[in-house]
Amino acid sequence: MNRHDLQKQMINEALKHGFTDCEVFYLGGESFEVLLMEGEVSNYENSSEGGVSFRGTYEGRTGYAFSERLEEESIDFLLTAAKENAMLMSEEEREELFGGEQYPELKGYFPELEQVCVEKRIQLAKRMEEAALNGAENIASLDYCVLGIAKREVAIVNSLGLDISYTKNFASGYVSAIARNGEETKTGSAFWKGRDWADFDPEETGRRAARRGAGLLGAGTVDSGTYAAVLDGKAMTSLLSSFSGIFFAENVQKGFSLLKDRLGEQIAASCVTLRDDALLEGGYASVPFDSEGVAGKNKAVIENGCLKTLLYNRKSAKKDGMGSTGNGFKAGLTSPVKTACTNFFIQKGENTLEEILQQMGNGLYITDFMGLHAGTNAVSGDFSLSAEGFLAENGKITKPVEQITIAGNFYTLLSDILAVGADLYFAASGKGSPSVLVKEMTAAGK
Amino acid sequence: MLSKNVVENTLSAALGTGADFAEIYMEQSKRNTLSVVNGRVEAVQSGLDYGAGIRLFFQNKAIYGFTNDTSEKNLIRIAREAAAAARGDRVYPLQGWQKMNLACMNPIRRMPDEVEKKKKAEMLFLASAAAKNYSPLITQTRTGCLDVVKDVFITNTDGLWAEERRVRSRFTVEAIASSAMEKQSGHLGPGGSLGFELYDQIDVEEKAREAARIAVTMLGAKPCPAGRMPVVIDNGFGGVIFHEACGHSLEATAVARNASVFAEKMGQQIASSLVTAIDDGTIPNGWGSAAMDDEGTPTQRNVLIENGILRTYLVDKLNGRRMGAIPTGSSRRESYRFAPTSRMTNTFIDKGQSTTAEMIGNTDFGLYAKQMGGGSVDPATGSFNFAVLEGYMIRGGKIAEPVRGATLIGKGMEVLMKIDMVGDNLARAQGMCGSISGSIPTDVGQPMIRVKEMTVGGRG
Repeated sequence: MNRHDLQKQMINEALKHGFTDCEVFYLGGESFEVLLMEGEVSNYENSSEGGVSFRGTYEGRTGYAFSERLEEESIDFLLTAAKENAMLMSEEEREELFGGEQYPELKGYFPELEQVCVEKRIQLAKRMEEAALNGAENIASLDYCVLGIAKREVAIVNSLGLDISYTKNFASGYVSAIARNGEETKTGSAFWKGRDWADFDPEETGRRAARRGAGLLGAGTVDSGTYAAVLDGKAMTSLLSSFSGIFFAENVQKGFSLLKDRLGEQIAASCVTLRDDALLEGGYASVPFDSEGVAGKNKAVIENGCLKTLLYNRKSAKKDGMGSTGNGFKAGLTSPVKTACTNFFIQKGENTLEEILQQMGNGLYITDFMGLHAGTNAVSGDFSLSAEGFLAENGKITKPVEQITIAGNFYTLLSDILAVGADLYFAASGKGSPSVLVKEMTAAGK
Repeated sequence: MLSKNVVENTLSAALGTGADFAEIYMEQSKRNTLSVVNGRVEAVQSGLDYGAGIRLFFQNKAIYGFTNDTSEKNLIRIAREAAAAARGDRVYPLQGWQKMNLACMNPIRRMPDEVEKKKKAEMLFLASAAAKNYSPLITQTRTGCLDVVKDVFITNTDGLWAEERRVRSRFTVEAIASSAMEKQSGHLGPGGSLGFELYDQIDVEEKAREAARIAVTMLGAKPCPAGRMPVVIDNGFGGVIFHEACGHSLEATAVARNASVFAEKMGQQIASSLVTAIDDGTIPNGWGSAAMDDEGTPTQRNVLIENGILRTYLVDKLNGRRMGAIPTGSSRRESYRFAPTSRMTNTFIDKGQSTTAEMIGNTDFGLYAKQMGGGSVDPATGSFNFAVLEGYMIRGGKIAEPVRGATLIGKGMEVLMKIDMVGDNLARAQGMCGSISGSIPTDVGQPMIRVKEMTVGGRG
């Protein structure tokens, strides 16, 4: 059944069955992925999928249910389950639907991206693989070499007359190289993500991965102690991602963040400006509207160190007497509307990486954190993470470092940032940061 | 789930392009989740996951496609499109099917989807109250219950025709203790291939109090000192050390690509002779148990390491072809969205001889990791890291003050070789393991073990 017809029919049925209002959220997509191993296609994937999530008000309460079975027979299941689920919710938690507003123009869908034939795509992946294998001495093999295209469609139809949709697509390449010297093994990875195949330089991506891996060979540990540290864009982005939840109003309201009553206060060093920009041109997480149909916005979360706003969905905004910031997102069909970031990044500063390393003098240059899902405490801000990178002496990188842990606290770290680089990095998620210089961090080594 | 006719036409379309093997995996999962935050229902969700995946082999090359439109027309289209990426040199004939008889490994007494949600909510209220009332320091509680009834159908061109219903239930509780500037949390998540009878086997209030106890203890704890020291890791979830440090590197996914530190180490000593490690997908009602894996091979008990010697890898069909090894019933996937690959099921270090008293008593100074958090590993380098949720210092052979924020890091084989005591109190605990074929339920486990020396990270 056509998704739009199904959405319409479901709403009609729901209203007949006692729901006073309701919404059908559709999420669908298509993707293609090719994985290479030793010059050969080792895995190839092609998919199309779609599903609906229903939410509606029944006896003054909101109930949810979802189905990936897009057939008329699913309607009955969805309505019955949503009713039962609604009855467990309290009336105060009722979610109000949104009738819509003006939406920004945002070009997200690039059909030309999908018109490149399969053979050409495989060729690009092969070039990236070859460049990675030959990109540095000591590259023994590749861990992964993947090329893909993903298309995503979101469509919201509700009983208040909202009927909106958008489609976006991206192509991406990812390669991870294994560098080996005797018994020592290191991996280095790199990716590209974009809207135009002409922007993709498979050789450059492959070489970047190879150099990142090979550069870490010969690593040793450091003495345990306190060090000044430069976190490169990738490392800082991974920390920022792990702790992004502290900026969500719903977490603050529930006591899962320490930013309660801090609005307008200095919570970071004055060189730090953190933005959440749904409209960023070419941004990986740009969207015209969120999962509640609220238009995307560009806002400063931290401006010159001062906390300007939290990130709101419609429910948390109502609790604080604010407007939604357009950050009400469903993580997938199964998830209710929660809060999520769009393009969430620390604005770039003016210094080059070399200048920042000079400013630090002696310390650690951290290029990667591992184990972020386990070594971080999202509530207290504490983290203790396995890290790798380089030792810097007199402002110059001297030798690679491994088998160390870096411990600290994210809230403290924000205030301890001494300088922000001009080298803004974005992860595929749309989160990003330039390199930052941090006053001190605790390292455990030998 | 599919008629013979649809299967035959789809698989024929796949073979028509020269694939030497084709498989259809189809599932319908009915899932219910309920979560209670601070004593109030926060979310209730019900739904159907539904779809099919088609996999083709051209010798050692695999092609995968998936969809939720399972009409015959669309399945054939997916098979043809998938096959467009490769060409075989001859067309293999399609054979008949033999319906597989699977032993029932996980008898279910009470189907969870037939239990009223109100009843589940009431149980969560009890648990929330138990955590909250444990101490005035407990400021937040989160409890949840999850149940899934997953119907799986697998058929392939080797004549396999198999169906299995997999039922799983899990209870989760998290308690947060707060002081003026500080928050610490404790959490537990027991579960199994069980129906609602899970709740006859566990006391949710006791689990809630235990989570609260961890949070309160850690709130008062000082930061863990950093450095190299002996580490005693407790039983149960402590087994995550083996899961991360060794288990992932024994998966054929990594071994076949020569991206594992344990590649080409078969028959060699890779761990202390005190270590015997097992992956067993047949444990009755185990969280990671099933009658067959996700490509239709019956699960089995695999002795991975025997007295320190590497005995087997975890092998799936595709990597088995690449390595010349026989599949071990270890091929798993989160759903039809993922091509299956070798993964762990219920993995544990087998019990040894030492008692808890001996292990703590013989440690002059070190860390006692009582509750482990999660962790991760790079199979290519064997480097792992994991968090200690509840830790204490050991001083003069006695458990001393609690410490927080500890991380354990190291390399798999180094740590396995340094295990110098293995306890007699084997226990298993439940986790979700994420890797290239998605997030799947796995058990970790071990008795208490001591590692002679490890790098401990912390802020103290």
